[in-house]
Amino acid sequence: MTEQPTDDPLAAVVRAAAPTSFDDGFGDRVLSRLGTRSDQAFTSALNRQFRLVVPLAAAAAVILAAFNWWGARGTAASPFDAALNLPQVTLSSAYSVTSLYGVAVPTETP
Amino acid sequence: MAEPTSDAELIARARTGDDHAFGVLVQRYEGAVAATVIGMLGRGDDADDVGQETFIRFHRALDRFRGESSLKTYLTHIAMNLSLNTLKRRRRSLLRFVSRDEHDVDLPEPRVGPDGEVDANELQMLVRAAVARLGEKHRAVVVLRLFQDCSTRETAEILGVPEGTVLSRLSRAMKELEARLEPYVRYGRALPESIT
Repeated sequence: MTEQPTDDPLAAVVRAAAPTSFDDGFGDRVLSRLGTRSDQAFTSALNRQFRLVVPLAAAAAVILAAFNWWGARGTAASPFDAALNLPQVTLSSAYSVTSLYGVAVPTETP
Repeated sequence: MAEPTSDAELIARARTGDDHAFGVLVQRYEGAVAATVIGMLGRGDDADDVGQETFIRFHRALDRFRGESSLKTYLTHIAMNLSLNTLKRRRRSLLRFVSRDEHDVDLPEPRVGPDGEVDANELQMLVRAAVARLGEKHRAVVVLRLFQDCSTRETAEILGVPEGTVLSRLSRAMKELEARLEPYVRYGRALPESIT
């Protein structure tokens, strides 16, 4: 296979007319687009992770709430308290030594 | 001062996230990509976008680039594929109703100097305009063989056609260019200095 004659005058004229560059700042535009793309890649990776984690977290919260509600349904003041497993608190129990210091203090006897 | 670093070294550094190394590669091969993309699409926003996209695709494929072909050939391949896709999109768009053949049959009239010679810059513009008026397939061969100095085999590989097809398309394209440029280029006589 022979190479086409590209050394004739017309070929030389055409070869000399080849564009040699884009408009000024081309390299900067490429690098800037690359930067934008890596930012977008980070954001979309975060979005992907978020979309994966949120349903799992929501499902775990629902299961926990159901478990709490089932255990405390007879004693809790409301279904909401039961779901969150909140203990019943009265004014006197809130100020009791046990709740303030976490331990029962024995009463002094003379 | 010229960057002495080899392509392989710059690619290795770019793989580790060195943007400066990649910037040097962009600078080094901007001309090759510009010759392909502007040769195919003409100068403008489309060409600039395709040029940028060429380097972005290369950046994405850095880990897969094995250096089996030269980087110039690799980039030219991407640039040509993207340019041909852009031309397809253009054809599909409303612009297809405005055929270049309908209103661009004649080349723009160049300014002629007092000695009767066409100015070198004018001649370059004329040649580019003539290349732009070639059919897509013929233009692709002219761009690769003459603008890019690719061999017939490289051209055939990039365009996915047999070498014989490249040769016949080049031959037809040259005849067409000769006919279009004949009034302005006097073959066999000295061309303007900046052209030869």
